[in-house]
Amino acid sequence: MFSEFFKKELFTGLKRPMVYIFMFIVGLLVFGAVVSDNVQIGGVVGDVKKNAPTVVGRFVGILNVFGMLFAVAFFNNAALRDHKYGFFEILFSTPISKAGYFFGRFIGAWILSCLVMVGIYIGFIIGAAIGPAMHWIGPERMGDTPWLAFFNSFVLFVIPNMLLVGSIIFTLATRFKSTIISFLGALFIILGYSISASLMSDVDNQSLAALVDVFGIRAYAVDIQYYSPFEMNTTTMGFSGNLLKNRLLWTTVALVILFLSYLTFSFSAKAKKVKKKKAGDANQKQSVFQKPTISISADKTPTWKHFASFFKINFLSMAKSATFIIILAFAVIMLVGNIWGGFEYFGLKSYPVTYKMLDEVNGISSLFVLIILVFFSGELVWRDRDSHISEVIDGTPHQSMVSLIAKALSLVVLATTIHMFLVLIAIIYQAVNGYTNFEVGLYLMDFLSGPFIMYLFWATIFVFIQVLVNQKYLAYFLSVLSLFLVDLIIAALKIDSNMVVLGSTPSTRYSDMNGFGPGMEAQLWFSAYWLIFGVVLLIIAGMFWPRGMNKSIKDRFAVGRKSLSTSYYSSLGFFSLTWVAIAGFVYYNTQVLNPYFNSETELEQQVEYEKNYKHFENAPLPSMTDLTFNIDIFPEDRAVKSKVDITITNKTSKPIDSLHFTVLEEDYVSIEIPNSKLVHGEKGTFYYIYQLDQTLAPGDSMQMVCKYDYLPKGFENRVTTTKFVRNGTFFNNGDILPTFGYQKRFEVSDKNRRKKYDLPERDRMPELQATCSHVCMKNYLTEGSADWVNVETFISTSEDQIAIAPGSLVSQSTENGRNKYHYKVDTPSQNFYAFISAKYEVARRKWKGIDLEVYYHKEHEVNVEGMLDAVQKSLEYFTTHFGPYYHNQARIIEFPRYASFAQAFPGTMPYSEALGFIIDLEDETKNNVVDAVIAHEMGHQYWAHQVIGAAMQGSTMLSESFAEYSSLMVMKQESDPVEMKDFIKYDLQRYLRGRSRETEKELPLAKVENQGHIHYGKGSVILYALQDYIGEAKVNNALRGFLEEYRYQEPPYPTSNDFMRYLKQEVPDSLQSLLVDWFDEITFYDLRLEEVTCVKNANGKYDISLDIIAKKTKASEAGEMTDVTIADWVDVGFYKDRDEKELMFRERVYMNQENTKLNFTLDELPAKAAVDPLRILIDRVYKDNRKTVSLE
Amino acid sequence: MSQLKITNLNKTYPNGTKALVDVNLELSKGMFGLLGPNGAGKSSLMRTLATLQEADSGTATLGDIDMLGDPQSVRKILGYLPQEFGVYPRITAAQLLDHVATLKGILNKKERNELVDYLLQKVNLYNERNKSVKGFSGGMKQRVGIAQALIGNPQLIIVDEPTAGLDPGERNRFHNLLAEVGEEVIVILSTHIVDDVRELCTDMAIMNFGRIVYNGQPADALSALNGKIWRKVIERSEKENYQNNYNVISDKMVAGRPQIHVLSDADPGNGFEEVPPNLEDVFFVRCQGG
Repeated sequence: MFSEFFKKELFTGLKRPMVYIFMFIVGLLVFGAVVSDNVQIGGVVGDVKKNAPTVVGRFVGILNVFGMLFAVAFFNNAALRDHKYGFFEILFSTPISKAGYFFGRFIGAWILSCLVMVGIYIGFIIGAAIGPAMHWIGPERMGDTPWLAFFNSFVLFVIPNMLLVGSIIFTLATRFKSTIISFLGALFIILGYSISASLMSDVDNQSLAALVDVFGIRAYAVDIQYYSPFEMNTTTMGFSGNLLKNRLLWTTVALVILFLSYLTFSFSAKAKKVKKKKAGDANQKQSVFQKPTISISADKTPTWKHFASFFKINFLSMAKSATFIIILAFAVIMLVGNIWGGFEYFGLKSYPVTYKMLDEVNGISSLFVLIILVFFSGELVWRDRDSHISEVIDGTPHQSMVSLIAKALSLVVLATTIHMFLVLIAIIYQAVNGYTNFEVGLYLMDFLSGPFIMYLFWATIFVFIQVLVNQKYLAYFLSVLSLFLVDLIIAALKIDSNMVVLGSTPSTRYSDMNGFGPGMEAQLWFSAYWLIFGVVLLIIAGMFWPRGMNKSIKDRFAVGRKSLSTSYYSSLGFFSLTWVAIAGFVYYNTQVLNPYFNSETELEQQVEYEKNYKHFENAPLPSMTDLTFNIDIFPEDRAVKSKVDITITNKTSKPIDSLHFTVLEEDYVSIEIPNSKLVHGEKGTFYYIYQLDQTLAPGDSMQMVCKYDYLPKGFENRVTTTKFVRNGTFFNNGDILPTFGYQKRFEVSDKNRRKKYDLPERDRMPELQATCSHVCMKNYLTEGSADWVNVETFISTSEDQIAIAPGSLVSQSTENGRNKYHYKVDTPSQNFYAFISAKYEVARRKWKGIDLEVYYHKEHEVNVEGMLDAVQKSLEYFTTHFGPYYHNQARIIEFPRYASFAQAFPGTMPYSEALGFIIDLEDETKNNVVDAVIAHEMGHQYWAHQVIGAAMQGSTMLSESFAEYSSLMVMKQESDPVEMKDFIKYDLQRYLRGRSRETEKELPLAKVENQGHIHYGKGSVILYALQDYIGEAKVNNALRGFLEEYRYQEPPYPTSNDFMRYLKQEVPDSLQSLLVDWFDEITFYDLRLEEVTCVKNANGKYDISLDIIAKKTKASEAGEMTDVTIADWVDVGFYKDRDEKELMFRERVYMNQENTKLNFTLDELPAKAAVDPLRILIDRVYKDNRKTVSLE
Repeated sequence: MSQLKITNLNKTYPNGTKALVDVNLELSKGMFGLLGPNGAGKSSLMRTLATLQEADSGTATLGDIDMLGDPQSVRKILGYLPQEFGVYPRITAAQLLDHVATLKGILNKKERNELVDYLLQKVNLYNERNKSVKGFSGGMKQRVGIAQALIGNPQLIIVDEPTAGLDPGERNRFHNLLAEVGEEVIVILSTHIVDDVRELCTDMAIMNFGRIVYNGQPADALSALNGKIWRKVIERSEKENYQNNYNVISDKMVAGRPQIHVLSDADPGNGFEEVPPNLEDVFFVRCQGG
């Protein structure tokens, strides 16, 4: 009996095209991802092979989510087939075995679902064979076929996932006998998946998140998160770790569900509910109605009333439907889930400002609204026919067009309902959190300018597809396809214009400072373009509306035409013409007025640049020494005009006969050099050579002028600059000046792309050298174009704004409605500074003759005092421990959230509005990330602005690691070591995550090549650990000694070797090996607490013994790991509480073997024991470092 | 009211089925019955007249209106109850009728309400007017369908199998209702229930295989068969024998035994007795010919 049903299910499935179509889709996706870098599934970068075992694991995991939707079809079919065809009453009355029927069907569908996923492996195999053969991708990007990974991923992912999905869907289907409910079940599973995703974002919950993820994707992600590229290429997923636990858990769940489902499964058909009639009804008195005289409208087309009636009926039946209510509920749950934890940022919450809520609402609304639009577009178009009322409705004298428009609009109103509901929840959330600046107008503005128009657009597209295709499910498929497939095709064709990507517009980003910003105009035009396109499609659909029984396109068109009036054709004409006109205008603005290059062309330009001018790389260049800026900012026009007088000096030993420039912004920059002629350079080359009439001898100086003139024209395809805006203009000297000579940073850096264009392998940075050469003559920031410069600025802006330039304010005036300022830098500084203009409030404080200032947006005053405190605290520490501060001012200046960083320029620190200004510090009495960022940027006033490394490996350690260390030291003034652990944790994670995504090679700290995860993440952890091991004063001594030798020194610039010289002197002999481990090599500790036993002794004290495993490994640059013998001092400690807030005991123990047993006697019973309790050593897995202590 | 004239109407479906073959009919005010077995082409004809389906060739005019070329004009004076009448989920009877009334051009809200109330009462659904139609029984749904077909003073009412699923009481009420409106307008009643036609229609046609096999008054049809219908109650085992030897036009069970009718100009003897022809006999005789 079983085999009969099983075979039937399986073979029927195999005979149908569905399995093969799905398999083909899956295979195609994988194939695309394997052979090109344009299709991305889960992201593979750099050294990781395209078919590495971990890549297989990740793909299989992610594609399982798609696979689930296919599986729903199989399981739902298996469960409902007999019901659908009304066969069940016959079938179930025969003496078939329940188990045979139930499991036969189930297992048949299960195998079909799993079979689809085999497409993944086929995609991998074919991709790996064809990709390199067709030269789409280099053969070195492919590894051997990972058969074991194929097998294991099939067993670990595909089989259990399909079992779980199947058990749920099969249960739902047999119970509710409704396809909709089955799909909702699938939706529910996806929800579970995304909930686990949001749990994942909090660092401590990783193992929980790994466990609750129904598909096991995150469990696997957690397992491999710290893998280096080498391990990614060599390690196959196994039956271990979080993944195994996760799989066991969910397989058990699946089996339990299936078993319960089987127990409660019954052949008897679901009894229909019989509603009792209310007793009173029959006796209800009623008057007898007379047949009324009615007047039938003589109006030829009572369009509006028809529309209203259609709309009402459509909207009511959708809004009352279970599907809508369930989807709305899901959306609400997701929104609440997302905003519940607040906006976490390094353990702090941001205020729920409206733009943050907008991001959340829009993100969720767009997802659910698209589901709704796709689903109900089919429902609506098919509703009359599905409800068997089409013949009646079609036989009434209405215009088909009216009905069609009513359908599209009722869809949009339904979407609006969801959106507004979410907005309401967002506002309630703000209110509950005490944020009372309700910007209802902003919510509405944002909705109307963006999502609303998109919903309108997609509603018309989907309705159009449904009408034209006239097959509900095929149209569903095409609708979903239209959502992203068009994008994929266009990405492959490398067309960047928003005009050809369905529904695409430039994005805007709302900023409290600058409102909707510079993209708004373009967004509105593109919206109109798409909207009218949709309207035209809808009108065309009207011609093909399947009125009556006509099915073929020809018949429908024949019938449609008959009932079309002249007003139909005139509106079709009107909208088509309007669309053409708008298209023309948009085209003129985005292609003619503001031409742009697509990414491919840009890449080719880079290649040309390198090929043509690389040989000039070491040509002698002059340096800038004095710069006088004359800048006029016109915020209302987003325009900037500048003229810079520059003194340049030949600091080299060779005469210079020509000046070389790299000019990226060719349209806006002009160069004037007296007594010279342009001998090379035309638009598109980016490289300009001016021959000097008279050679510039070593030591000689000359003058030149650079102008920059930016005036935006019309609107662009995408906003190219957010530097010049109405409120919050923020640009730096590099943006308005050309650079001298050949610029290495303009080269293509991705090594696979370089290979594709036949470029030689490229070093990110020159190698660290023991004895200095010409590379030491440049610092890594200005690359030789300047050393320490004098800067003077005359800057003007509109009357309502303040303009800020580096240095002290010399004078200020208002003339002709413009504010004019004159700034001058007090001490020669790095040629790296910003110019800013916005409407600001200013908070000031004087500290030891230094002006502390915060320039902020009016509504963002809440943390301003705290920021001044942070600047002061930093200055106090740095002036005490490092040396004097050389500027007369320290400014924090808020800028719009188009970027979310803070940056240090001499004496000024622009700080994004997204960062510190809106963080809720109300409950924070001590240090916090806002202070930390300020202290970091203040640290740069020393590290980068007083001393800077030569342009070679290791240089960023001297600025970024030191600044981060400085910041930690300021924090440490007010935090105990346990609290510091929370800061260190983020730095450590930044390092570990970063190295697993390394695209070229990892380098030891002392040779860091401007890699953020190393110089910020690892650098700060190591320097922090170092001060814990040798003492804060000793580390500071080394820093101060180094600073004093090189402060504001002309080249040669120092290297990391120069700092190590100072550091070595401070480190006792016993710990010298740490310097090798931590700075010169890549070292990991693997510390584990295996066993804790605790007994109360006779004295009433606690004897605790710990079994510890301590290992040390070194990684090669490619990430290959080698075990080395440990011989290090490691902390062992006890926490008083389970939350690890109070460390009651800490001792540093020398460990020189893998297994160590330690005994302690404590007065009090600790809650937890831990190796390296403060987490200062680099250990990839910290979870196994601590254990709960329990008394025996 | 003007005449409905159908000339040489043809329709062949893409799968080759000939739904309408040279259909010619003339109808005037009153009830017109359209009889025929399942699949005879009745619904195709009705749908074509109701502007829901294109004909391949032929014409149909209603007074001055070219029914096939100007569907909008037909729709303004049409009341149509299709064979399969369903309803929207989650919409009440009153809402549904209100919607149809609006579409038929009754734009005055008050008039519409009165009309909806009136019709609901007529079809005995006034008490259920605010309930979702989806939960109605088949008969109740059919009554809603009848109500909507009567909205807006239609000049041409087409009802396709209207009494299917109605209990005898409901059926009578429906017949009365139809007869009431049928005095003034053209009513086309398609059915395979012979009694419906007998009770209501002054004119009728019988269709089979897409053709009109009879067109005329029921009385004429009956008189044509006078003296030609013979009846006999037989044993079940004899059925085949009789079918081979006589022109058996129908057999049905009466009190558990087969009763056959045969067509014969003369007395077939052998225990047959002559019976007055009824419409069912007409139906079977006419359909046999096809």
